[in-house]
Amino acid sequence: MKTIPKATSIFYIGKGGAGKSTSAALNSLFLAQQGLEVMIISLDPAHNQSDILEKRLSDKPRQIAPHLKAIEIDHKYWIRQYLKDIHEQIKRTYRYLTSFNLEKYFKVIKHSPCLEEYALILAFREIRRKFSKMDYLVFDMAPTALSLKFFNLPTVSLVWVNHLLSLRREIIRKREIVTRIKLMNKEIETDKVLLRIKTSIQEYTALKELFEDPDLTKINLVMNPDQLSIAESRRIVEGLKDINIPLSQVIINKSRQGCCMAYIHKEFKGLSILKLPFSETPLIGLDVLAHFLKENNDKMMAQPLKIPVS
Amino acid sequence: MSLLKQIQYKIERLWQIQGEASRNRAVEALESELEEMENIFGILVCGSFLGISSPPMQITLDLIPYMEKELVLMMEKVDTASEPISQLFSIFDIS
Repeated sequence: MKTIPKATSIFYIGKGGAGKSTSAALNSLFLAQQGLEVMIISLDPAHNQSDILEKRLSDKPRQIAPHLKAIEIDHKYWIRQYLKDIHEQIKRTYRYLTSFNLEKYFKVIKHSPCLEEYALILAFREIRRKFSKMDYLVFDMAPTALSLKFFNLPTVSLVWVNHLLSLRREIIRKREIVTRIKLMNKEIETDKVLLRIKTSIQEYTALKELFEDPDLTKINLVMNPDQLSIAESRRIVEGLKDINIPLSQVIINKSRQGCCMAYIHKEFKGLSILKLPFSETPLIGLDVLAHFLKENNDKMMAQPLKIPVS
Repeated sequence: MSLLKQIQYKIERLWQIQGEASRNRAVEALESELEEMENIFGILVCGSFLGISSPPMQITLDLIPYMEKELVLMMEKVDTASEPISQLFSIFDIS
């Protein structure tokens, strides 16, 4: 089984408009300024990084600043590629008429809801494989619903594939009995479905363990100091807790003195909280981001990564 | 071939056919059970094709290239679904 490379992944999640993209950009720039090799990846279909960094981004990495590269993932491309691969496999393994009848289903399947989060998983795995030498991979995630489905996917998938595994083993056991009786000493054929299920279990287990490993996965929840944002953030914390994925930090964006702070500290007790102050200037462009970091004690970005700061 | 050898050959052949028939009868019920299990497996994985709750789509799609037999079986089962009693009679050789 292929092992997943060791670069640390930092995810920025939260309600739409809370400031995930800006926080991700600030964190990436800060880490790059420390001499660490950083890639910032936009997994959000809204793709705000191009606007924040004022650079046109694509699915090819682009150098943004010293030690900092950026990439934008097109989830529709990943869905197309995946379905194309499956279709090719079917054409190779099925009889002509059966594969011909399935063609019309593929035109509809690409709109299946589960595929959106799976496309992000495929992109995530490929990025970790390709950019394993990076120190940090900073992911600007989609809004809450898609992000939670992304993190939940390995756990839910494992429930299904483990159930399918036990049923498939039972089928093979009975098939072997029938073959031995009917065909005496004929060799039993390897069951490709069983092999594929076992491969899936390995892949999903590796992903699940990666998400649950607090050293390799840091999840930062970005929120604003307002009721709606607090309520949604509370649901995100509970959602992640249900699937045993630890939250690294809560980032309160646009924080102002006294505004709901006591309530937030009470609601998210036990979690590391970072306050990003409100900025009168829109945080657009590398120079503005660098200035903001300098003005607002950039050392705050070192936590909870615990990296040494010059 | 001498007469004795012909008789010997026919007896051996008869024995083989009888053995084959016995083995087939022995596994008939088991084969039906196996077919049902494979059908269930097909429905579990590909049920969305029939309007039944099914696994996340990527699990179905990952397994489908290796499940031509199960898919064809499912389609056949759909054809005989309206006559389950006649199918049972056939399995237990009730005429």
